[in-house]
Amino acid sequence: MRARPIAPIIFLRILAPERADPPMAGFAAVLRKDLTLELRGGESTLALVALSILILIVMVFALDPAGGAADAPIAAGALWVAMIFAGMAGAARTVLAERDNGCIRALYLSPLDRGALFLAKLAAASIFMIVAEAAVVLMLVLFFNLDFDLRLARMLPALALGLIGFAALATLLAAISGRVHAGDLLMPLLAVPMYVPALIAGVKASAAALGGAPWSAMGQWLRIMIAFDVLFVAAGFILFEHLLDED
Amino acid sequence: MDNLGYLGAAYAIIFGVIFLYVIFIQRRQAKLDERMRALEARLAEVRDDLRRRSAG
Amino acid sequence: MANTFTRTLAALTGLLMFAAIYMTFVFVPTEAEQGIVQRIFYFHVPCAWVAFAAFGIVAISGIFYLWLGGQIWDDLGYACAEIGMVFCTLVLVTGSIWARPIWGVWWTWDSRLTTTLILWLLYGGYLMLRAMAGDSPQVARFAAVIGIVAAADVPVIVVSVRLWRTIHPAVLITKQGEHGLTDPRMVATLLVALAAFTALFAWLLLIRFASLRTRSRLAALERELNLAEAAAGDL
Repeated sequence: MRARPIAPIIFLRILAPERADPPMAGFAAVLRKDLTLELRGGESTLALVALSILILIVMVFALDPAGGAADAPIAAGALWVAMIFAGMAGAARTVLAERDNGCIRALYLSPLDRGALFLAKLAAASIFMIVAEAAVVLMLVLFFNLDFDLRLARMLPALALGLIGFAALATLLAAISGRVHAGDLLMPLLAVPMYVPALIAGVKASAAALGGAPWSAMGQWLRIMIAFDVLFVAAGFILFEHLLDED
Repeated sequence: MDNLGYLGAAYAIIFGVIFLYVIFIQRRQAKLDERMRALEARLAEVRDDLRRRSAG
Repeated sequence: MANTFTRTLAALTGLLMFAAIYMTFVFVPTEAEQGIVQRIFYFHVPCAWVAFAAFGIVAISGIFYLWLGGQIWDDLGYACAEIGMVFCTLVLVTGSIWARPIWGVWWTWDSRLTTTLILWLLYGGYLMLRAMAGDSPQVARFAAVIGIVAAADVPVIVVSVRLWRTIHPAVLITKQGEHGLTDPRMVATLLVALAAFTALFAWLLLIRFASLRTRSRLAALERELNLAEAAAGDL
C-alpha cells in the first residue's frame, strides 16, 4: 500500500464530500473522480501552467514592455491572452480525457443527470484553471515588475469571473470538439468569438485594477462578466444532454 | 463626385457575391441530381434482381 | 406547385430589385454632407437586416430541432446560417467601402462594426463545424446548440462592445428622436430596398432549403437502399 498524501485528501473531502445529498451525488462523485485522477499524476494542470507561462513569455517578447506604470494595460492583455489560449488546450481536458480513456460511453449510460455532469466537469476545469492562473499571476508580477499589493487583489474578481465563464464555454464546446473530426481545430474557432464579451470586460477590468483605478471603474465590466457566466453556465446545464446523446 | 468608384465597387460586390452564391447553390443542386440518378439506377438494379429471383 | 411559387418569388424579387436600383441611382436626392457614397446605405442596411433575420432563424430552428426533432428544422437552420453569412459578409464589405471616403479608414473598431465582425466569426465557426463534421443527427444537434448559444451570446456581445467604443452614425433614430433621413424620398428608397432584399432572402432561402431537403431525403433513401441490398445479398 502506497502512502497517500493527507492534505489533498482533506481538500477533496471538503470540496466534494462522499456523502452528499442525492441530487448532487453524481456531481460530487464525478468531481471527486476528476480531482483524484489529477492528484495522482494527471497532466491537465501541469500542462495548463506550463502553456500559460510560455504564452506569457511570448507576449513579453512580442510587446516588449518598457517598465513602469504604462505597462498595466499590456500586462492585463498578456494575462488574458495566456488564459484563453492555455485554457483552450487545457480546460477541455476533463471532458476529452473521458473520451481518450474510453469512459465516455459509461458516462452516457449512467443515470447521472447531464446537468450535474456538466457542473462537475465545469468545477474540475475551473479548479485546474485557478491553479494555472495563480501561477500566471505570479509570473506576471515578476515579468512586468508589478507590486504585490491591493491592485493585484482588485484584479481577482474579474479573473475569477472570466475563468468560470471560460471553463463553462470550454466544457460545453469540448463535448462537441471531442467527437467531431478535426475538432481540436474547431474549438478555438467557436470559443474565441463566443468569449469576446468576457474578454473585453476582463481586459478592461484588469487594466483598471492594475492601473490603480477605484472599484467603481470596474463595476460595469464585472456586471457584463456576471451576465456572461450566468448565460454559459445555464446554457451548459440545460443543453449538455443534447450534446451527449448517442444516436 | 470622385467617389463614384466606391459606389460602383459596393454595388458590383453586392450583386457579384449574390450571383456567385446562386451559382454555388445550383452547382450543389446539380451534384444532388447526379446522386439521385445513381440512386434510381441502383433501385432499378435491385428491382430487376428481385424479379429474376422471384421468377427463377 | 412549388416551382410556380419559386418562379413567382423570383420574378417579384427581380422587379423589386430593379425598382430599388432605379430609386437608389436615379430617384433619390444626393445626401448633402456625404455626397454620392451615401447611396451605399440603401443596400447596406437591407443586407444587415437580412443577415440578422437569418441568424435569428438559425437559433429558432435550433430550438425547434432540439425540442421536436425532425430533419426539416436542421435543414432550415443550415440554409439560414449560410445565407446569413453571405449577407453578413456583404454588410462588412459595403460598410468598409463606405467608411473609406467618409471616415478615411477601411476599418475602425467601432461598436457596430466590431459586433458585426464577431457575428461573422461566430457563424463562420458554425458553418466550419457543419463543413468539417459532415451530416449526422449528432452533428445536427451540435449545430443546433451552437446556433442557440451564439444567438443568446449576441446581446452580451452588443452591450460589451458598445461600452468598449462607438462612433457609428445613428442614421435611423438619433438621440433627439428624429431620423437622419431628411428627405421622404430617402425613406421611400430605403423601404423599397428593404422589401427587395427581404424578397431576395425569401427566394434564396426557398431554393437552398429545397435543395437541402432533397439532400436529406436522398441520404435517407441511400441508407435504406444499402440496407435492402445487404438483405438481398443474404438471401
